[in-house]
Amino acid sequence: MANPSETGMVDPRIFEELQNKIDEDAEVREQIRAIVQTLERQGRGAQSILSRAHSTPAAHLKPVLDAAEGSIKEEVASIKSLSDVASSSPYYKYNGLWTRDVQNVIFSILLCGWLGGMAHNGKAAEAGRLLTIEDVGAILDGTLIPIFQNLRLTISVPVNLKDRDAFHISIEEYLQSLITLIEELARLAVNSVTLGDYQRPLQISQFVKDLHAGFQILNLKNDSLRRRSDSIKYNVKKIEDIVYDLSLRNLVSKS
Amino acid sequence: MEPPPPTEAMSELFITSIPQSKSESEPMSEKMPGIKRDHDGVKKEKEVNASPFMPMFEAFRDELDEHHDRRERIIKASRDITAASKKMQVPPSPKHSKFSNQPTDFIQYIFSPKTVWKNRVRTLKSDIPPKIASETAERYAAMQKQFSAIAPDLTGINAWRYQRQISGGIQEYMEAVSFEHYLKHQRLITISEAAGTLQGGIELTGDDYVLGLFDLVGELMRFAITSMATTGSLPGGGGDGGRRDILVDLRELRTCFQALDTGSCGGTGLGKDVEKKMEVMKTCVEKVESAVLWLDY
Repeated sequence: MANPSETGMVDPRIFEELQNKIDEDAEVREQIRAIVQTLERQGRGAQSILSRAHSTPAAHLKPVLDAAEGSIKEEVASIKSLSDVASSSPYYKYNGLWTRDVQNVIFSILLCGWLGGMAHNGKAAEAGRLLTIEDVGAILDGTLIPIFQNLRLTISVPVNLKDRDAFHISIEEYLQSLITLIEELARLAVNSVTLGDYQRPLQISQFVKDLHAGFQILNLKNDSLRRRSDSIKYNVKKIEDIVYDLSLRNLVSKS
Repeated sequence: MEPPPPTEAMSELFITSIPQSKSESEPMSEKMPGIKRDHDGVKKEKEVNASPFMPMFEAFRDELDEHHDRRERIIKASRDITAASKKMQVPPSPKHSKFSNQPTDFIQYIFSPKTVWKNRVRTLKSDIPPKIASETAERYAAMQKQFSAIAPDLTGINAWRYQRQISGGIQEYMEAVSFEHYLKHQRLITISEAAGTLQGGIELTGDDYVLGLFDLVGELMRFAITSMATTGSLPGGGGDGGRRDILVDLRELRTCFQALDTGSCGGTGLGKDVEKKMEVMKTCVEKVESAVLWLDY
């Protein structure tokens, strides 16, 4: 009953199709990786600019924030190309490839916003402010600050999608970035004192405590968010110690 | 109230500043417990009790709870599907259960008690005996029930979100379905045929399909060897001349698997799993080959 192509067990098309799928997958991965690499480099740039805040008095932050915003603008453009490539695939199929770098971008935006940058959508910049996940989504949309208006991107980066499958930033990513922000603010509290700014540690202390209270009501499972959020309490303590020291030395103004 | 210069030693500060702040004012000591802010009393109370970010975190909590619930439901269903699938491939028997744990030792199959496989399927392309058919139908129903229960958790954006949790169950299911398909038709089930049997829009990924097929080889090996032990010949072959026997099929499958280039998958799930499963698959085929050698002696 000879002809093996007809009577063989395996329809040859099965494995052809599989191979095609595998190759297509690899190609998408490759495209995403290229963008993620760019994002990684830009992320390092933005963070090195922002780290100048540790040695710059609050009154002279403006140039740092301007430079950071410029750098974040580049990141926003990369996110846009990532979104373009990723949108043709299910979001969760490849999100592991970029989630770390997207978290870095969100962190840069949050820190820059807290320091008093990132005015967007008519919302004025204000030091000590927390940008919400919606704010971050809007900023990633490209409607950041006036200079961003010319570059206004047509697609939006939605947040925490439930009903449709598209590129977005997830709650987990936002929370991870918040934890990084807390770590960075603990460092900033120390360095503010060195710069002679005794008010900022108090501001940081209240802000971080409010965030900590928020994290405490989350029911985290044994995942990376859980493990990292355990570090928050140590940072709270670190900042409290600074505030304690300041009050001990009567460096905190009391009304 | 004069702030001491920051360079002063800590020990001195302790002595100088603590009594100072205590004696300084009444409202001060009232404010101290748990409250670090120094606004007027009323506003302070409010801010201590509720962080302004609470509503945001409450929304996050609800979202994350939903996600964890879905995840747990899927993990449980995946386990139940795996259990049902394993029972389907080896219908329960106290004696056989011992062997089902060690599918690699073919000597045990050769000498496994005939009674275990009496009334079992030993031929290909024929209808499955009614007793077994009804048994497998029951298992199918159980698996399908699990699948439809979690189908809403695995649609839309979540189709890929819980891939790691569900893929074990889907691979087991694939193994069972492809084995049954082979027994009935002596052909390899296609991905669309297999996907068509899944309930409620659950996606069958190419990865799970291939990995399930790797496991099918193990199943075919057990089937071939028990058949040889009980009937003295390879299923599918002999009799009416040119028909393919199961070893021909196993070799064909092996060739196909080996030709599959998964080098590009690298660190992702498929790349890793394929490497492991490829070795097991080769061993399985070789075991049938050596068993056939025995048969010929």
